[in-house]
Amino acid sequence: MRKTIDWWWGILLAFSLLAVMRAFLPLPFVNEIMIFSIYAIGCSFLLGRVGFISFGQPAYLAFGAYGTAFYLFYFGTNPFVGIFVGVAAGFIAALIVGPLFVRLRSDYFALVNLALAVIIFYLMQKVLAPITKGDNGLWFLTNMTSTPLLDITRPNHFFVFAFLVALLVWAFYKYLDDTIFGACCLATKINEDKLQFIGYSNFKIRLSAFVIANTTTALAGSLYAVYIGSVSPEITSPARAADPVVVILLGGVGTLYGPIVGSIAYTGMKDVISKLIGNWEMIIGPLLVIIMLAGEKGIWGTLEPWLKKLFFRNTSSTSNKSNAGTDN
Amino acid sequence: MSAQNALLAVEALSVSYGESKVLFDISLFVESTQIVACVGRNGAGKTTLLKCIAGFLKPASGSVTLDKVNLVGRPPYDIANLGVKYVPQDKKVFSDLTVRENLELGSYATKDYNWDPVTTFFPKLKILMDRKAGYLSGGERQMLMIGRAILGKPKVLLVDEPTEGLAPSIVSHLKSVFRELSRHTALIIVEQNLPLVCAISDKVYALNDGRIVAELNDEASIRVDVCEQYL
Repeated sequence: MRKTIDWWWGILLAFSLLAVMRAFLPLPFVNEIMIFSIYAIGCSFLLGRVGFISFGQPAYLAFGAYGTAFYLFYFGTNPFVGIFVGVAAGFIAALIVGPLFVRLRSDYFALVNLALAVIIFYLMQKVLAPITKGDNGLWFLTNMTSTPLLDITRPNHFFVFAFLVALLVWAFYKYLDDTIFGACCLATKINEDKLQFIGYSNFKIRLSAFVIANTTTALAGSLYAVYIGSVSPEITSPARAADPVVVILLGGVGTLYGPIVGSIAYTGMKDVISKLIGNWEMIIGPLLVIIMLAGEKGIWGTLEPWLKKLFFRNTSSTSNKSNAGTDN
Repeated sequence: MSAQNALLAVEALSVSYGESKVLFDISLFVESTQIVACVGRNGAGKTTLLKCIAGFLKPASGSVTLDKVNLVGRPPYDIANLGVKYVPQDKKVFSDLTVRENLELGSYATKDYNWDPVTTFFPKLKILMDRKAGYLSGGERQMLMIGRAILGKPKVLLVDEPTEGLAPSIVSHLKSVFRELSRHTALIIVEQNLPLVCAISDKVYALNDGRIVAELNDEASIRVDVCEQYL
């Protein structure tokens, strides 16, 4: 029981805080954080666990978003089915490009992913314009039908759904971190040759991690599509390629809660500053440089040891006493 | 000895790094439960030989067989799963993982979750289970690497310079571990510590400039003063 509580407390606390935030902050802002944090966790897993930096995450976001959009625009009306189709599209796309990309070194991996994002952008904007409607995008907000129990076409219901999905995603990544597969991912990042000595194929581990991470990114794309009710090529714009990387650097690379903290900080800064200045990137850029220089572990990476010390001082001293008692 | 009754047989093996040839027609045979040592000066090709057997280098010609199964061309993880484990020289462990996680990686790959042999050989690892491997001393890292490699009871253990930079007490401990391990595992040890080599080896191959220049396989010839002339 104690172990279960230890396992869950962080996730429950983080999501309780998010639920509390909902009471104080505007709904669109909180929904955006939910989607952005799911978007960022895949990228965080790739960078923090496997050592792959990817500037092509908009491509996988687009696979999910366009998968959902095509279904809801051309074929059906149920947004849940739309999300399923989007996730399946992301999974299949990752499975197709993954075997080619994961063979590459991290720097080349970053570049080919960026190239993929550019290709998808122009495919959606120009080549497939008759189907994607080019820059105008696909609009399907009114196509979606209401669903019983949870009507995710309504923003407040969508928040509940996105909240539950994010909770599941975090529980899944927490579980992955604690499994042998998670250890293998970290081991392939530390020393890929050594992992082969023990009998593991780096290729299989990297491919599995790649598919898991980018299917999660596609899930964020599907959620985004349903939430906004439209998808345009802007979603895969190369100009936005660095967004998830910036978010996880801001939050803390490889940490479980870094993507949430980074999403809150990034979206918050963007919202506040864009109200004051049109070109908000002019301010965000230098701000990010300052934050990175102040603590290269990111916000959560810097805060986590400090918070652990603060909250667990009493617990650890109690457990030390009880251990000492047992020894005696 | 011929390839007939050898567990691991290396025959006419030649290896090149680009244009430059580093191993020339190496033939080496290891029986099960035998300890075979490779000695030679730096640059003689000892580590290259182990890397080639482990699948990290592709030979230009020749063959490597384990129980008559060809190993050449197989990826290193496949060779490890067939029962040939490599303990490299640099003692680099997965530094961000704990000792327990390092062993779990070994267990999961081999489906051998019995850590008793590991903790019997290296009792110190028991108290270091939750320590990050990056914080271990050189000797502790060597224990961890050998401990992880023996999970799954490999048929052949390739150990590269196991005593390099270690305290005499640890070297003496490793000597008894290797002897004990050789009851059910064949070992190929690359080593410059001749007293250790002569104390535990059933056979010694001396390498020089990528060629085997001597094969010593009886107690009378496996002596420090004999081996010394090849260093």
